[in-house]
Amino acid sequence: MKDIGFHLLLFFFASAVVVVIGTFFSETDDRRAVAILPRRLFRFFLGSLLVLGIMLICEHTWA
Amino acid sequence: MSASHPKNPPGIPSVALLLGWFLPGAGHVYLGKVRTGVIAFLVVEGLYGLGVFLSGGMFLEYLPPEMRGRFSGLLTPEVGNLGALLAHMSHYGYGVGYPRPYPDLMDWGTTLTALSGLCNLLVLTSAHLAARRREPCLGPGPSPTLAASASLLLPGLGQFLQGRRARGLVIAVLLLSLFAVGCFLGGGSNLDRERHFYYWAGQFMLGLPALMTEFAFGHPRLSVEISYADGGVVLSSVAGLLNVLVMLDAFHYAEHGPESECDPIVSAHTATGSIATENKGGPSA
Repeated sequence: MKDIGFHLLLFFFASAVVVVIGTFFSETDDRRAVAILPRRLFRFFLGSLLVLGIMLICEHTWA
Repeated sequence: MSASHPKNPPGIPSVALLLGWFLPGAGHVYLGKVRTGVIAFLVVEGLYGLGVFLSGGMFLEYLPPEMRGRFSGLLTPEVGNLGALLAHMSHYGYGVGYPRPYPDLMDWGTTLTALSGLCNLLVLTSAHLAARRREPCLGPGPSPTLAASASLLLPGLGQFLQGRRARGLVIAVLLLSLFAVGCFLGGGSNLDRERHFYYWAGQFMLGLPALMTEFAFGHPRLSVEISYADGGVVLSSVAGLLNVLVMLDAFHYAEHGPESECDPIVSAHTATGSIATENKGGPSA
């Protein structure tokens, strides 16, 4: 767990950029894009947490 | 050809696309736009020819031996100019079989060949659009190809020119800062096609900012290990690849305009006020 804080910071930054650009790509209307952005960010980070949980369970179970 | 008739498009889009992919400008010539085709051919092949001249045709020798396969060259930006790339691979291949010094202007040369591929991709989008467009429903600002080109030149510029200034600014700030963080983490080592052959292609999609940064701070001589070099090259590549979405967004908006205007049923009947009739009786072609 070297520099976990820095890695998390990089992850949040990069994924926020990916989600924002993805939202702009899927919505041509700026106001609608801004309106759905929080929900998309929430879903992305929730999904990431789920993947993290599954990976940790797999690691502790089989590794 | 009845190019001017709205019901008859000037050609088959996929044919225009394939012709232009193998021979730049051939798609436009097929559509009857000979002058545009000839100019496109001269520009795209001129860039490629100059690039090959400066690099001695050695850009595929950047690939380490274990990565040299039959299709390895097809994952480069040069693939946009497929005819030239195939001729290149056939003529130069992976070099003479042993390491040799690169020409002094190798970086410029490989940049130009990559630029040739990207330019031809934009020419292809123009040919495809011209072949399939019947009744244009264009958004504000420049044409779709120009809007995408502007976003390639500078992330968000296409959106800015379309009047979507807030979107353009947000895109520019986000992508450029992601790229800057990547360069900072990589200490500039990410800005080198020889070191990161395929990742470089991703960064290249960020356009002018990536090229300017590369020629200002790239190709550093490294004497110490950089802790986050891998993270740096990934982040800067992601920034470049996200710019492809930005270019597509600019192209789509320029072609279709705001969603309410590009809906064919709404746009066709807003003027006549016959939406209710349409819903009851169905479309009348």
